[in-house]
Amino acid sequence: MRKIYNPAWAHHEAMRQAAQRWHRAGRLPQPQLEAIRAAYPLDFYRPTIYLRILLFLLVSLAYLVAAGLLGLFIYSLTDTHSYHAGRETLVFGSTFLLAALAGQFVLLNLIRTSRLYHAGSDQALLYLSLGFAAATVFCFLEVGRPPVEGDWLTLGSAYLPLLLVPVLGLLLLATVSYADPLVAAAAYLTTLALLANLLLRFGSGRLLLPFAVMAAAVGLYYLVRRLGRRPDYWYYRYCLLTLKALALATFYLGGNYLMVREANAALSGDYVSRQIPFALIFYLLTALLPLAYLAHGLRRPDRVWLLTGLAALAFSGYTVRFYHSVLPPAVASALIGAGLVALMALALRYLRTPRHGLTADPDDAPSERPGLNLEALIVAQTAHAPQAPEPGFQFGGGQTGGGGAEGKW
Amino acid sequence: MRVLPLIAELRARGLLEPEQAAGLEAHERTRPFSLHYEIRTLLYLGITLLSGGLGVLLYDHLDDLGHGAVVVLISLLTAACFTYAARHRRPFSWAQVPNSGLLPDYLLLLGCLLFLVLEGYLQAQYTLFGTRYGLALAVPAALFFYLAYRLDHRGVLSMGITALAAWAGLSVQPLSIFENQFLTAPVSRAALGLGAALLVAGWLSETRHRKAHFAYTYLLLGGNLLLAAATAALFAEVLRPAGLLVLLILGVSAGLFWYGRRAHAHVFLLLGAAYGYVALTYGLFRFFDSLGTSGSELWFTFCLYYFLVSAVAAVWFLTHLKRLAGTAAHAQNL
Repeated sequence: MRKIYNPAWAHHEAMRQAAQRWHRAGRLPQPQLEAIRAAYPLDFYRPTIYLRILLFLLVSLAYLVAAGLLGLFIYSLTDTHSYHAGRETLVFGSTFLLAALAGQFVLLNLIRTSRLYHAGSDQALLYLSLGFAAATVFCFLEVGRPPVEGDWLTLGSAYLPLLLVPVLGLLLLATVSYADPLVAAAAYLTTLALLANLLLRFGSGRLLLPFAVMAAAVGLYYLVRRLGRRPDYWYYRYCLLTLKALALATFYLGGNYLMVREANAALSGDYVSRQIPFALIFYLLTALLPLAYLAHGLRRPDRVWLLTGLAALAFSGYTVRFYHSVLPPAVASALIGAGLVALMALALRYLRTPRHGLTADPDDAPSERPGLNLEALIVAQTAHAPQAPEPGFQFGGGQTGGGGAEGKW
Repeated sequence: MRVLPLIAELRARGLLEPEQAAGLEAHERTRPFSLHYEIRTLLYLGITLLSGGLGVLLYDHLDDLGHGAVVVLISLLTAACFTYAARHRRPFSWAQVPNSGLLPDYLLLLGCLLFLVLEGYLQAQYTLFGTRYGLALAVPAALFFYLAYRLDHRGVLSMGITALAAWAGLSVQPLSIFENQFLTAPVSRAALGLGAALLVAGWLSETRHRKAHFAYTYLLLGGNLLLAAATAALFAEVLRPAGLLVLLILGVSAGLFWYGRRAHAHVFLLLGAAYGYVALTYGLFRFFDSLGTSGSELWFTFCLYYFLVSAVAAVWFLTHLKRLAGTAAHAQNL
């Protein structure tokens, strides 16, 4: 259980970000900024986002092809004359195992020699090698498990923990060492799957499931708060932020009427969902949770609460429209749009001078905002002339999301 | 207050004076929380929903009574948006003009979107432009280009480019270029021509200092259009000879790559490398195909090795480019 990346890197980066901000606010003269930069060097390699994407894709391609070559080699080594049922699965399993081990080996070496730090290529190796490791567990289970009728990978199956528990262990180990937000999220979702598996094996478990998910989210939130007080906060910063957002999101979704009703129907195998027990609780949660998130996010100023609250509000709107068509989609869209523009105009006017600790001014200088160029592309993508629609064309009830798509917390 | 320990650490190391550290702590405690990007996103969402909703509303109720009222309403809204944006205008300059605020920016966009809705409706209902459909598309393009340059707005510029492409019978939305339907030789040639023209426009705006910050939008939309059209034409085999197309793609990709490195606009590195890799791979395989070596097991193994070696080589190249391309910390000015 050790940190793979140099923990000083995260600390130095945080220090430099803070110093840069103070310098921009006019509270740190240039010579002092230079002194701080000299004392906290950034000697890791992380290119800009586009190069990271490119490196991620290229390394994924190379890794997959290398694993394929390895698989072909192992396949040609095995005795081609004895056909027994598990042979191919064993070939796959051993290929995955070797690929995962080789991937980890290359990854550790690359981080040591090239000082990669969440640079795209290390992330590709990490995700794929973890995927290969999980596939290894699956293949060996497939060979070694006792024969069961039908599919053993359903959410209520008694054999599922055999797969999920080792995978969860791997993910936790990887989260602690690599501090990768996506791996941390996968670990949490695996935990939720285990919880659901445990409850669904009992008759009344399904009734408890939403509340259990909400309880797990509360538990995660307090765990994140505790972990955030540790001195290695900066190393796990993005993991903790991701987990916090996930805790808020799963707490909301656990109480969301649409999710509970449709999940209930899917679990009982119904094609049409029916009214659920305790419906009133879920109506209230669906309506009030987003507002509570938004209020908390604005009062405490906390971006994670605010953005989760906005996404939850949009999903609550979708929930209402899913069961009741209140207005024609076009009218609803125009009204919501007009409301949003008016509301934002008011907010801009109200926040012309900062109030209640809130401001409409950006935190960063224009030169540090490459997002302005991208915004023009989003306009090109979404804001084109509405062509005459074909017959039967329906404008979907409006776009949701978009909030925080650039990952700025 | 995660930064308070950082301040304490800096003071302990003697990098901050004690009173300065106390000032910074107070600054961190009282610093207002910026809602800038949330407001931007919601404003944009609002104007898209409003104009989209009104557009569909008009088409759905073409025959209803009272659509005259809706036309008047939309005209008034459009005029109000344009007036508001015009009242907040800054003096014209070929350099980048300081931003005049969020609301004028987004209301200008809303005005442009509503103008499109209105124009489309008038054309559909009253055939304003008769059968001269080209004119119906050229009018918004000209208006948007004028507004983009006069009011210095990159979003309106990209709308103008979209309208220009629509006039040429193409779609330049970044994600829908491959959906240019009925890919024929004339459509491909038009796309190549328009893409090249946009690239030249971008290059000229940068070198002649005519709104140099518009170069990014021109180059990205134009480069993407040209490269995607050439790649699509290559795969669908509508333009010949294939060798020339491959060379064209490689040349433009290399140019974009070079520009991206020079201007620290790394999206061009991604664009150039991705299209260049696809074209090079396709060209090589076509070449070997013409030698008649394909189809065998050996060929398959060779392909796997090709992908492995080329990907590793590309990763090596890109990683060793780091001194020249700059890192994320460099881009954030850390």
